[in-house]
Amino acid sequence: MNNKRAIERHAARPLAPRPSASRRLAASLLPPLVMGVLVVLAYIWTRSGLEPHRQFLMPTLEGLWSQAFSRPDVLVQLFNAAITTLSIALAGLAISIPIGLLLGVVMFRFQVMEKAIFPYLVALQSIPILAIIPLLQSALGFGFLPKVLIVALFTFFSIPTTLLLGLRSVDRAIIDLFRLQKASWPTMLLKAGFPSAAPTLFAGLRISAGLAVVGAIVSELFFLSGPGGLGQMLINAKIDFKYEQMYAALLVSSVLSISVYLLFAWLGNRLFSEWHESGSR
Amino acid sequence: MNTEIPTMSNVPAQIEKDMAAAKDRPPGDAALIFDGVSMVFPDGTEALNRVDLVIESGEFVALVGPSGCGKSTLLRLAAGLETQTAGDIWVDRDSLGYTFQDATLLPWRKVLPNVELLMELRGFDPAERRRIALEQIELVGLTGFENHYPRRLSGGMKMRASLARSLALNPAVFLFDEPFGALDEITRERLNDELIALYARQKFTGLFVTHSIPEAVYLATKVVVMSRRPGHILASFDIAFPEPRTAELRYTSQFAEICGQISLALRQAMEG
Repeated sequence: MNNKRAIERHAARPLAPRPSASRRLAASLLPPLVMGVLVVLAYIWTRSGLEPHRQFLMPTLEGLWSQAFSRPDVLVQLFNAAITTLSIALAGLAISIPIGLLLGVVMFRFQVMEKAIFPYLVALQSIPILAIIPLLQSALGFGFLPKVLIVALFTFFSIPTTLLLGLRSVDRAIIDLFRLQKASWPTMLLKAGFPSAAPTLFAGLRISAGLAVVGAIVSELFFLSGPGGLGQMLINAKIDFKYEQMYAALLVSSVLSISVYLLFAWLGNRLFSEWHESGSR
Repeated sequence: MNTEIPTMSNVPAQIEKDMAAAKDRPPGDAALIFDGVSMVFPDGTEALNRVDLVIESGEFVALVGPSGCGKSTLLRLAAGLETQTAGDIWVDRDSLGYTFQDATLLPWRKVLPNVELLMELRGFDPAERRRIALEQIELVGLTGFENHYPRRLSGGMKMRASLARSLALNPAVFLFDEPFGALDEITRERLNDELIALYARQKFTGLFVTHSIPEAVYLATKVVVMSRRPGHILASFDIAFPEPRTAELRYTSQFAEICGQISLALRQAMEG
């Protein structure tokens, strides 16, 4: 009996021609286009389901244009509000980033400090920050400072934790290399620790940056005095039944938040793509 | 002109210091001495048990032994990365070169600043260290790759950059911790040839840990066989091939014979 199995032919596959420029453009444009069409369909479907007297909840595109984006006074208001929100967000980051970095380094250097600090960081993260806002209000009033502190609280957690993680992951052999030259601890931190931890830290910063805008808007929802940001504009437009303007503020908020995230993503990519595995080719 | 005039008070002090240093210094022209060195790790692992090894200035010693017998630990002790639990080590740690199993280049630095790193840590003048780095890069055949990030280099090229980085300090004693272990055979042989040329040129004292017997025999003036853990020296073979060695040496019958003898000793080390 012949127990030898029959062999099969496996044909070659010639290299496919590279898709043309127009096809590649279409391939990159198609996904957002499909998404956009789906959003519009969902909008039309939801709006058509609303009773006529409730249709103000979803303004039409014409309404959005005539009541908001075509009116210079609304545009100026939107612009000023965006600047206010952005400055609260950035001021919050200006507090949380340096303190976060410092805490990360201190926890890395002194294990005792890590044991002392880390549990409180986790606890801080799990306290609903919204619940502390009334307390901050009572203590600090309704000015700029409490809003900035809220942003700082929102954005704080990921900075020391990602820095600590990054510093811990420095290649042991690189540390040995520095030790062999009797490098001081600050030198090691500066020339080996920070560069090595930077990509991890940046992942944390990207999250914080996005959260900063969210935190700024949320903080304003609780403080309806002072120079208004986008959050305040949202609430006031709602109170005045100016739903077109509310949607406009909502759109600008989203754009702002996404832009800050993209800015940090771009910056990280620029800094690390050439040497780090996470970078694109 | 040296204007420092010895005063009455510091002369006897200096002499006393010199005498104190000389009293304990072992005789001979050794560059690296392990004198009854033992190492027990905090977890109780006994890595080395009374290692005695004298490496004369200008010698190139290859260290072979079973996996996990403490060869790397011996190098780490010599460099002061770890401290032995018994015995003495004699070496000038200010003039030490060290290559690791991986190239350990800083991934965020291009080749040139990577080669400059050790000089930078030693506080060399920037212009000086650039000059030396370019010289070393040329010596290891990496000219044209100064501005490449390590991730764009092959394994062999990374190791070359790593060698250039150590050579830049012109070390008197060079410790190699299995530097070519991860490379393919062809690249490894080429780097062996280049290392021989570097050794002939720079005249450092070498201690080279390897798993490859032909590599050990080809490079070294002496091959030392270590026992299983806890490691100690079992046998030592003088390799008396004429210098400078050439690649053809590998294909001679004398070469094969000495490789065979060491292989046998290593086999006994693993069993015994």
